[in-house]
Amino acid sequence: MDWVVIVWTGATSASLMLAAIHFFVWMRNRAALASLMFCLMAACTAGMAGCELAMMRVVNVDQLGPILQWYNIFRWGVTLALLGFMHFYLRAGRMWLELTVIGLRTFALLLNLLVSPNAYYSSIEGLSRIIFLGKPVTVVEGVPNPLMLVGQVSLLVLAACLVDTSWKAYSAGAYNRALRVGTSSVFFVLALSLQTMLVLWGVIEVPIMASLFFLGIVGVMAFELSEDMLRATRLADNLQQREIDLRRERKLTDSIFQGAPGLLYLQSRDGTILRWNKRPANPSEVVPTKIHDFFRSDDQHALGEFLEKTFAEGSANFELDLLHPNGSATRHFFSTVRIEIGEEPHLIGVGIDVSAEHALSLELDLQKERLARVSQIASMSELSSSLAHEINQPLAIILSNAEAAQRQLERETPNHNELREILKDIVTADIRAADVIRRLRSILNRGQPDLAIVSPTELLNSVLQILKTEIHSSGAIVSRKIPKRLPTLMADRIPVEQVLINLMKNALEAMHENGTRGKSLVLSCVSEANGIRFSVRDNGCGLPESADWIFEAFHTTKPNGLGLGLKICNTIIQAHGGRLWAENNKGRGACFHFHIPLRPDSP
Amino acid sequence: MTPSQNVILIDDEADLLKALRRLLKAEGFQVTCHQSAADFLAAPRPSGPGCIVLDESMPGMTGMELQRELVAEGSSLAIIFLTARGDIPMSVRAMKAGAVDFLTKPVKDKNLISTIHTALKKSLDLQALKKERDNIRQRFETLTDREREVLQNVVKGLPNKQIAALLGLVEQTIKVHRSRVMAKMRADSLAQLVLLSERLGITGQQSEAI
Repeated sequence: MDWVVIVWTGATSASLMLAAIHFFVWMRNRAALASLMFCLMAACTAGMAGCELAMMRVVNVDQLGPILQWYNIFRWGVTLALLGFMHFYLRAGRMWLELTVIGLRTFALLLNLLVSPNAYYSSIEGLSRIIFLGKPVTVVEGVPNPLMLVGQVSLLVLAACLVDTSWKAYSAGAYNRALRVGTSSVFFVLALSLQTMLVLWGVIEVPIMASLFFLGIVGVMAFELSEDMLRATRLADNLQQREIDLRRERKLTDSIFQGAPGLLYLQSRDGTILRWNKRPANPSEVVPTKIHDFFRSDDQHALGEFLEKTFAEGSANFELDLLHPNGSATRHFFSTVRIEIGEEPHLIGVGIDVSAEHALSLELDLQKERLARVSQIASMSELSSSLAHEINQPLAIILSNAEAAQRQLERETPNHNELREILKDIVTADIRAADVIRRLRSILNRGQPDLAIVSPTELLNSVLQILKTEIHSSGAIVSRKIPKRLPTLMADRIPVEQVLINLMKNALEAMHENGTRGKSLVLSCVSEANGIRFSVRDNGCGLPESADWIFEAFHTTKPNGLGLGLKICNTIIQAHGGRLWAENNKGRGACFHFHIPLRPDSP
Repeated sequence: MTPSQNVILIDDEADLLKALRRLLKAEGFQVTCHQSAADFLAAPRPSGPGCIVLDESMPGMTGMELQRELVAEGSSLAIIFLTARGDIPMSVRAMKAGAVDFLTKPVKDKNLISTIHTALKKSLDLQALKKERDNIRQRFETLTDREREVLQNVVKGLPNKQIAALLGLVEQTIKVHRSRVMAKMRADSLAQLVLLSERLGITGQQSEAI
């Protein structure tokens, strides 16, 4: 058995086989440059092994020349391929170091090709046969060429470059592969370099066997690449499992989407509907692509605001009419939340049909409106009856005065002064009656408020004028607190006057039992936030403990009252966009306030 | 024009008071005006018969309240209500409490004046009645306690014997008391005594002292 032949042909064929495998790998995946480099390296190693075997078998020096040239080309190729492999496999390395190695190796190759006989030997003395692995093999006998140092130095630089590349890969996190590939390649390169020197300087007598060292490197790399392949297979398995899981997950979300009651949809930031749970009944139906397609054009603005709110605040609730493909629309309650899908804001929305509830609430509103109208009619009847009372007073005065005048005229000498007085009183009473009628008409027409510019001061003065007799007969002392400068109001004058009249009459009644304490009524008027506050303060009996109901209809503390006065006042003030409220004073009595905005539309 | 034509106007409406005063003065009435019930109560009352033309709805004491007060004190002033806003229950209450009429504003002079005349007549009657009752009361007040007991039992129609048993006295003593009662009350007969007692409010059914 010739072990030399077995080992070297074995090395050659193993290398060729690996080269072939990885060539096909590279053919299938052109991006796998590491495989290409490995393929080249294995091929060059095979070439080297072949050359070495041939060298061991030469019989004369002349045969050696071409073999050595090829051998050097393969060595050059294997080094470069190793460098390339390390570069692509570990994805690291310094370009200048690599270029230096390539340069040195190429330089060494050129030296080998140009220098005669080669860079290893200055002169070849002859061939000698030595026994290697039990068989005689040919080795070259010659004077070592100092130029071969270039090759050795290049090998050392290569080793340094490999260390550097491995270290970089190691630092970048590829611990195992950097460690394995790096240490093995550096070890084999250094071992090769040592062995070559020892052989060339004649320290040991063995044939040149660089291919075996490279085969070592190729082996480690093949192992690495097969590890990678294994890993890839495992990954593929995992991926498949993942895909199955994903499909199951997808099925789950699908069934959640399909089974969800009402409308469930997922939309992107710009309103594109990514998923929704309603399938069109027939394929010809238009499938909405934008969330906006679900809603009427009048609702688009509101919808936009709700979407903005969702994206800005994370969620929103709103009610809108949802359009159906057949053109009908039903009221839906929507609840939307913002979710992040891959850092992109999206929106999930749920819509529940609330048309029944909506209809109910509309009905309820209608009922409320009806009730309000009934109560308004009741208020009006109360008001007109009180106004009827007021109109009967001046009519009685006119009638009695007129009859008194008739009697005067029947006398032989009518008292002209008396007659003049009577006529004056008749005129006054008549004006008063006309004013009552005007007031009544204004209140009955209270559908459209008759807005006009009103000066608060004039308003108070006119009310005081109207209530002159009441105030006088009650004996109350009225003081006014009115700032000199007050803005004017846009208000319906007569109803607002009526409110003041009612409040003041109430105040006078509340002070009826005051006795020796005296009756004090304070009217005040202040300018405040966008409006004017009127206050009527008395020192009478005050409000009951729980006085929340005083503004409700049909509640009264008066034996003959219907309990609508304050209710009407409240309605009037609210119609002006204002507010009416009451409180007890710290001392005695109560204070009623109302606030009216300067303009009804600016609350 | 007799001096007993007193008309008292009570109304919170000063202008109406003025107008009515002119009218009634022209008719020859003695007119006094008040703007509230309290004013009226504080002022001196006219002597002789009179009537009040009273507004129902006034701040302070209402017309009804004043009427109740006057009835309670046994006044002989007749009351006419004159109101701008009157309803049926209110007028029924007023009439039951003894009002002469319940007029609504505006009122025709003829109506008002004829009602005032009726009222004055009623006041006169009331005054006479009151005078008589005062007279009888004065007589009653001269009775001793024992005599009053006897009187009460006599008007119940009890015989002397029974009264004696009831009061724990002998019949003879009852007879003495009885004749004294008749004399003091200036009653000629038992029937007259019963009548006088009724005027005072002592009836056969009531055994309680007044």
